[in-house]
Amino acid sequence: MRTEEKQEEQQSIKDPSAYQQLESEEMEETSPWKDTIKQLRKNRFAVVGVVIILFFILLGLFAPLLTPYSYEEQALVDRLQPPSAEHWFGTDDVGRDIFTRIAYGARLSLQVGFFAVTGALVFGTLLGIVAGYFGRWIDTIISRIFDILLAFPSILLAIAIVSILGASLQNALIAIAIINIPIFGRLVRSKVISLREEEFIMAAKAQGMKNGRIIIHHILPNSAAPIIVQATLGFGTAILDAAGLGFLGLGAQPPTPEWGAMLAGSRDFIQLAPWTLIVPGVSIMLVVLGFNLIGDGLRDALDPKMKN
Amino acid sequence: MKWKYSFLVTLMLAFLFMIAACSGDGGADTASTDGESEEENTEGDSGSDEEQVLVYARGGDSTSLDFASVSDGESSRVTKNIYDSLLDYERDSFDVVPGLAHDWEVSDDGLKYTFHLEEGVTFHDGTDFNAEAVKINFERWADPEHEYAFKDEGYAYPLYGTMFGGYKGDEDHIIKEINVVNDYEIEFVLKEPQGSFLQNMAMHYFAITSPAALEKYGPDIGENPVGTGPFQFVSWTKDDQIVLEKFEDYRKDGLPKLDKLIYEVIPENSARLIALRSGDVDIIDGVNPDDASGIKSEDGLKLYVRGENNVGYLGMNVEKEPLDDKLVRQAINHAVDNESIVEALYAGYATPAVNLIPPNYMGYNDEIEGYEYDPERAKELLAEAGKDDGLELDLWVMPVSRPYMPDPETVAEIVQNNLKEVGIKTNIVREEWAPYLEKTSQGEQELFLLGWSGSNGDPDYFFGSLLHGDNIGGENRSFYQNEKVDELIDQAATEIDQDKRAELYKEIQTLLHEDAPGVNLVHSTPLAAAKSAVKGFIPHPSTNDPMEEVYMEN
Repeated sequence: MRTEEKQEEQQSIKDPSAYQQLESEEMEETSPWKDTIKQLRKNRFAVVGVVIILFFILLGLFAPLLTPYSYEEQALVDRLQPPSAEHWFGTDDVGRDIFTRIAYGARLSLQVGFFAVTGALVFGTLLGIVAGYFGRWIDTIISRIFDILLAFPSILLAIAIVSILGASLQNALIAIAIINIPIFGRLVRSKVISLREEEFIMAAKAQGMKNGRIIIHHILPNSAAPIIVQATLGFGTAILDAAGLGFLGLGAQPPTPEWGAMLAGSRDFIQLAPWTLIVPGVSIMLVVLGFNLIGDGLRDALDPKMKN
Repeated sequence: MKWKYSFLVTLMLAFLFMIAACSGDGGADTASTDGESEEENTEGDSGSDEEQVLVYARGGDSTSLDFASVSDGESSRVTKNIYDSLLDYERDSFDVVPGLAHDWEVSDDGLKYTFHLEEGVTFHDGTDFNAEAVKINFERWADPEHEYAFKDEGYAYPLYGTMFGGYKGDEDHIIKEINVVNDYEIEFVLKEPQGSFLQNMAMHYFAITSPAALEKYGPDIGENPVGTGPFQFVSWTKDDQIVLEKFEDYRKDGLPKLDKLIYEVIPENSARLIALRSGDVDIIDGVNPDDASGIKSEDGLKLYVRGENNVGYLGMNVEKEPLDDKLVRQAINHAVDNESIVEALYAGYATPAVNLIPPNYMGYNDEIEGYEYDPERAKELLAEAGKDDGLELDLWVMPVSRPYMPDPETVAEIVQNNLKEVGIKTNIVREEWAPYLEKTSQGEQELFLLGWSGSNGDPDYFFGSLLHGDNIGGENRSFYQNEKVDELIDQAATEIDQDKRAELYKEIQTLLHEDAPGVNLVHSTPLAAAKSAVKGFIPHPSTNDPMEEVYMEN
């Protein structure tokens, strides 16, 4: 964040009455970040999304405190119990408490989302900037690689990568990161190309600023908005992809409580014990929905054209 | 933003419907009908002019309708109703009954078998069935150079080799010659006696194909089956359905009762049950044991239980460290709680296994006591072997539901948990079905789940195939080789006194129990289900269900 912005922010906080006054007059002098959050709070769907995600984060964080059971301990006598006071979401086909597995699974899913998106974000942004800023043959090479990666249906590519690396949660994560790289890369590249011709960049160049500094101080901060939106949305799809790979047996291996693998393991019980499918299925849906709602909200909030 | 509202509302509605649909069953659970299939005595007269069409749904498609070239249950299940063999099995057991041969004699030395064939039988293509046709079929399987062996097209007859000791010219090939005495009498002369010869001759894999059709279709016979059975072939859409229709000139009067028989493929057990409930299909094979009580209590559906004829086991590759150590193998036997597995996953339709062969088989040794579930003893044994810390093994899990193990994935998770308790870490390895069989044959695995279903009711089919040293690289996926055991298996195979054979098999089981080349987990009684309107259906332990007596009651 730029220093002027911080000062501005501090000023406005020092003088709350002035701030309120400004707001009531619908003037736009607050920091862009604060503004975004304000916009976001007005968007009820985004708030719902935040609540959902917060819920799952807390569920994952406090999993050991919330449940007396272990996610891997089997109790064959108690298999396929319907939801009850003892087992909130029932038990699965080897008698493990489904609520416990969902809670520990939340950790996994959020971790997968976080690391896969971070990985894709870092490499995608790096490649995108290099391609967009320097152009010429570097751009051609990187863009063609992106095209090739995007030409495959993403889940198919992920399956191929996992088949090469071997089935495990970690490799699934790597695969998901790889398939997301071109999505970030292309986004950043197009943003950089449009920025490159802006006057303030020209000015910086004319003043003799080095490429590295221009990228860090001007290009990156100005490309942040679409990246943030994409990252939030990417969180959701990464979790969904991980669940898909888990369902196919290519992700987390037993007894890891991964939601997709839980779904796969219970699909024979759809009529007999529907809760074994509904609970992990709904969990996946809610988390993905949560991230999508936040992502949508952020996109609206960060788009200057949408401001009232 | 309006679309978002409607989207959410739709989503919620979809949920409600799903939950409502699901809560329909699972409530009533009272046992009403008994699980055993009962013989229907009603006559074939179903009293209507309507066409009798029956749809039989199963888990996988046939590989070829030339049954002998593929030893595949999904193929023989269909061809069983297109072809007849010289001898047949009782409808619900492996007792030998007449087939195309109405009578037979065995010489005292057990070397000559004479079969008297049915007269006036025709193949679906109109050619006459006679002794010459039988001879041509057997020669076709025995001699890779035979004009109908189609060796160049990749045809081979593995089961012939297994059951009769090899092929023409092989030293161990037991069929010396086949003599046509007259049109309706044929003689098989053996090199040495075979204890299970009649049992083998009744296997569906040795049914008789029309020689004229072999001539006409050549290697395409696998898609154009022509036999003497109750149904004739109409069409085959791969991975979807095989359609058969009534053969009007079938040798048994008044049979078959159905006009049309359709075999349909529905891979998932649960999806197949849904298709039965919705009325799309009439008979399903492969029912999850957990669904059994629901089917029993449901009006309009009937549960069928096949006879005990299989074993599900946890195999060990005895060539790999540390499984080459007998103590480790015994420890694993003590560590795995197969009684809990059976109790939890088979809903009462199975018994924990002690020996490799099912208890109803000849020669079953009931004096052997199974390895008790005893983690402490397992730890002691591991300590004795000096392998009590940090043992890590790969556990291969088959990707498909099998009759002996409807839910292998869960069995693997339970075994994983059992072994963890005695300090053995296991990594679950998955592989597609075909490569799974291929790679376990080559010995890439350490621990693996698999099983075996009998197809002639003879113990040799279990011991000889699974644990004889000669079958390493084939069905012997444990790579177990014990000279004494091999010798006993060979001896039992050539003995014709069945009591003596039984004694030999008992001795084999004692040796195997001590050596513990695997953990015998379970003998299951696989389940099938049908609409109650389906009458006369008796599931056969081999899964080759004869359908000639089956009809639909309106």
